[in-house]
Amino acid sequence: MSTVGIIANPVSARDIRRIVSHAGNLPINDRANIVLRILTGLSTTGVEEVFIMPENGGIRTQLVRTIDREDRMGTMRFPKLTYLDMPVTCTAADSAEAARQMHDQGVGAIIVLGGDGTSRVVVSKCGNTPIAGVSTGTNNAFPELREPTITGIAVGLAVTGQVPNGQGYSFNKRLEVRVNEKREIALVDVAVVAERFIGARAIWKTENFRDLYVNFGLPDSIGMSSIVGLLSPLDRETPEGRHIRLVPAESARSHLLAPIAPGLIENVSIDGVETMQPDEVYLPSISAGSFALDGERELTFCETDDVSVRLQTDAFRTINVSYCMAYAAKHGLLTRESDSALAKL
Amino acid sequence: MARTLSMKDAINEALDLEMERDKTVIMMGEDIVGGAGAGGEDDAWGGVLGVSKGLYAKHPKQMIDTPLSESAYVGAAIGAATCGLRPVAELMFIDFLGVCLDQIFNQAAKFRYMFGGKAETPVVIRAMCGGGFRAAAQHSQMLTPILTHIPGLKVVCPSNAYDTKGLLTQAIRDNDPVIFLEHKNLYGSETDVPEEAYAIPFGEANISREGKDVTIVTYGLMVHRSLEAAETLKKEGIDVEIVDLRTLSPIDMDTVLESVEETGRLVCVDEANPRCSIATDVSAQVAKDAFKSLKAPIGMVTAPHSPVPFSPSLEDSYIPSAEKIADAVRETMGA
Amino acid sequence: MSNPFPLEKDKLIEAYRTMKTIREFEERLHVDFGRGDIPGFVHLYAGEEASGVGIMMHLKDHDRIASTHRGHGHCIAKGVSVKSMMAEIYGKATGSCAGKGGSMHIADLSKGMMGANGILGAGAPLICGAALAAQKLEHDGVGITFFGDGASNQGTVLESMNLAAIWNLPAIFVVENNGYAESTSVEYAVASDSYVDRATGFGMPGITVDGLDFFAVYEAAGEIIKRAREGAGPTLLECKMIRFFGHFEGDAQTYRAPGENEENRANNDCLKIFRSKVTEAGVLTDAELNAIDGEVMTLIEEAVEEAKAAPLPAAEELTTDVYVSY
Repeated sequence: MSTVGIIANPVSARDIRRIVSHAGNLPINDRANIVLRILTGLSTTGVEEVFIMPENGGIRTQLVRTIDREDRMGTMRFPKLTYLDMPVTCTAADSAEAARQMHDQGVGAIIVLGGDGTSRVVVSKCGNTPIAGVSTGTNNAFPELREPTITGIAVGLAVTGQVPNGQGYSFNKRLEVRVNEKREIALVDVAVVAERFIGARAIWKTENFRDLYVNFGLPDSIGMSSIVGLLSPLDRETPEGRHIRLVPAESARSHLLAPIAPGLIENVSIDGVETMQPDEVYLPSISAGSFALDGERELTFCETDDVSVRLQTDAFRTINVSYCMAYAAKHGLLTRESDSALAKL
Repeated sequence: MARTLSMKDAINEALDLEMERDKTVIMMGEDIVGGAGAGGEDDAWGGVLGVSKGLYAKHPKQMIDTPLSESAYVGAAIGAATCGLRPVAELMFIDFLGVCLDQIFNQAAKFRYMFGGKAETPVVIRAMCGGGFRAAAQHSQMLTPILTHIPGLKVVCPSNAYDTKGLLTQAIRDNDPVIFLEHKNLYGSETDVPEEAYAIPFGEANISREGKDVTIVTYGLMVHRSLEAAETLKKEGIDVEIVDLRTLSPIDMDTVLESVEETGRLVCVDEANPRCSIATDVSAQVAKDAFKSLKAPIGMVTAPHSPVPFSPSLEDSYIPSAEKIADAVRETMGA
Repeated sequence: MSNPFPLEKDKLIEAYRTMKTIREFEERLHVDFGRGDIPGFVHLYAGEEASGVGIMMHLKDHDRIASTHRGHGHCIAKGVSVKSMMAEIYGKATGSCAGKGGSMHIADLSKGMMGANGILGAGAPLICGAALAAQKLEHDGVGITFFGDGASNQGTVLESMNLAAIWNLPAIFVVENNGYAESTSVEYAVASDSYVDRATGFGMPGITVDGLDFFAVYEAAGEIIKRAREGAGPTLLECKMIRFFGHFEGDAQTYRAPGENEENRANNDCLKIFRSKVTEAGVLTDAELNAIDGEVMTLIEEAVEEAKAAPLPAAEELTTDVYVSY
């Protein structure tokens, strides 16, 4: 039986960037509606059971109410929805624990509702289980913008083997940050900032930016990776990364106006750009500060810590939604024979 | 210099003078300016019946139209009153008390006591009260008893333009929360009103008519009905004294008792419903403190124990009439 | 090692001291109430200290706050005297409200504390008024109302958010979401569990922070308060947090999951989280913090002793201070 996991983060797109730059806020009811649309796509393609992360941010309440109502009315059919048995802490630890359990249960894929931050947490714990991102976060450089119904169909086609095994997946690079024995990953970018506390997590004070390591950055990207996108673009496939040295304004060689967060177009001061090679070790240019992973401060370090950044290629799998849908079109996966009686008319 | 003003204009003048004198006096309410954010005229209404018309032009920074959100803006007026402003919030009709009562009776009325005597809440809540407009059950009530029941509130209900200007001025200058009730059927009634500002102290009843046979204790529109009844009774040789309470909290029982001790007879007239009303309260206090002066049982004329009806014929019999008042006086006289 | 935090060392000490004072104040009330020493009801703030203190560290006396039933923490963080609060809770003449208010009504307007409130959601309109006064009197004060996940369903809160938005008031709506409205869960009682969504519905920004992390609250609140002072208007701040005790003292908390309280005490204690952050960063030592703990314990002990020894209100006080003038 094919199963799928869904991790819908209720607190993505809730941080201070709503205050500092009018970043978006996807309402909880809309997040629940997105899950329902994904479920419809999964159900249509034959997925029978979906494991989902419990949370108490409101998505579950809406889902359960709606599914109960639809069941009573008999208008829509959803796969069996099973909540994982785990405590709810309302923190990123929930997404991590859910990803771990889903991997252990052998789900065919995990669909992640969140932004870059949520996807990062899931990837760090889901092993080789492929993920499919649905943008509901603040910075959405990693998950592609797409109608979730389509993501649901594509994931369904891939995990049920209708798109032959192995063909519907892409391999991705990522960045690994090490502070002493602690390792964390980033899917898009790692910023080194001079602030040495985690606080409200988001980064927006450009005068504190020191280094930026980027996995991929396109000219039309949003977030810190836009700096690379606008200076020296890099796609998701090329097996290299970029390191940009950032400095206080007065000592910069050049300045770049970059959309470093939704609604926040700031002058960043550039000292230089270099190419990162896979598996080589890169050291931050300051001895104490914080690492912001995919736009959020996560790790602090000081003079006595042993820290490094490394690019890893072929590090995790994603569902290639475009490929799956193109395959479905080419092979008529969603085509059905007409009813013979009707055909004669 | 005095000239004739309507009660409505007296209210306008008191607000004007106080906003001019003290820039911390602000007005808040629904449509007190009117037309906010709309494409037409500024100061489109000046209040639903035009009471504050023209004030916006003089005091634009002191007049704030509010959304239809009584809990929020009455509460905001109360909060602002503890922070250095002297807000006058207009609750349009006192019937809307139901949606903001908590802010009035659990917050404003209790701050001073509850906070150990350290709070001052100089807020005025103005509202139209009373029947006769064919406005039915939810726009016509006389809710004075409910408000008078609550310690911490001062309750005013004037009967004429002169008192209105002086009492509203006092209400604005007072450092306690004041409920200022304006009988909408009296807005057009006129008296001489001095041009300058003056304040009438709270807790001082007015003898509207002197007489020796019977005391009528009343307030608001009922003062006029009682005066009408007194003219009829005069022809029958009954000399009626009318005590206009003016403020119901504090209440001037001294004047009431002195009058009853003179006349020996009391009729309480109240437009409110009868149970636990101003009429029953005054009657009980007189029975307790001046029982020996009474020559006859106390008479009471009130609205019936029913909501205010709509149909003109029913509403006319709901509101105490001069005839009913005269009958009650005759009964007290043993006639 | 230099200080990595956005507060100087003395401010970190002040933050810790205030949080610890709140904690010990509440722990002591828990014990004394259980012994029957305290009349009435008390609703304890223990576990939620990082929220109140993280926000109040940014405020001055002319900033007004309106609190909830669970108001002791807000009072202490806003600078109300701990000894006068303890005396008030004991019903004594020396209390902050001369023994006439009690736990649910402690206020000190001179400190900008507009009162704990026995009525859920009632503070929201009041702080709109405080914010309006700041606007009209042209000073940079802000009004902050605290309310719980339960009171978020009151019409007053929603009406006030609308009012604050249309008037662009320097008003801040802090939802202290501890997951329980008395005994009822958020999941049951709130149709859209997201308070941020409600703010968005009124056209004001809203954010959620980890209310157990003093630094997260401090930084977010700082930004929100700064913007409100500069004229950027109202904001909603949701602090997700944990209530260590029941709704009120005497609540058997049978609605909690088995082990919930023990787990919270062990792993979700905002004071422990603060302590580990500042000691790991090497800014404060355990010895320094332990010394503060000792001073706090002494203060609370003195407060209780003085409260017990203080006189009851005089009988004639029964009817005084109903009005300013009679």
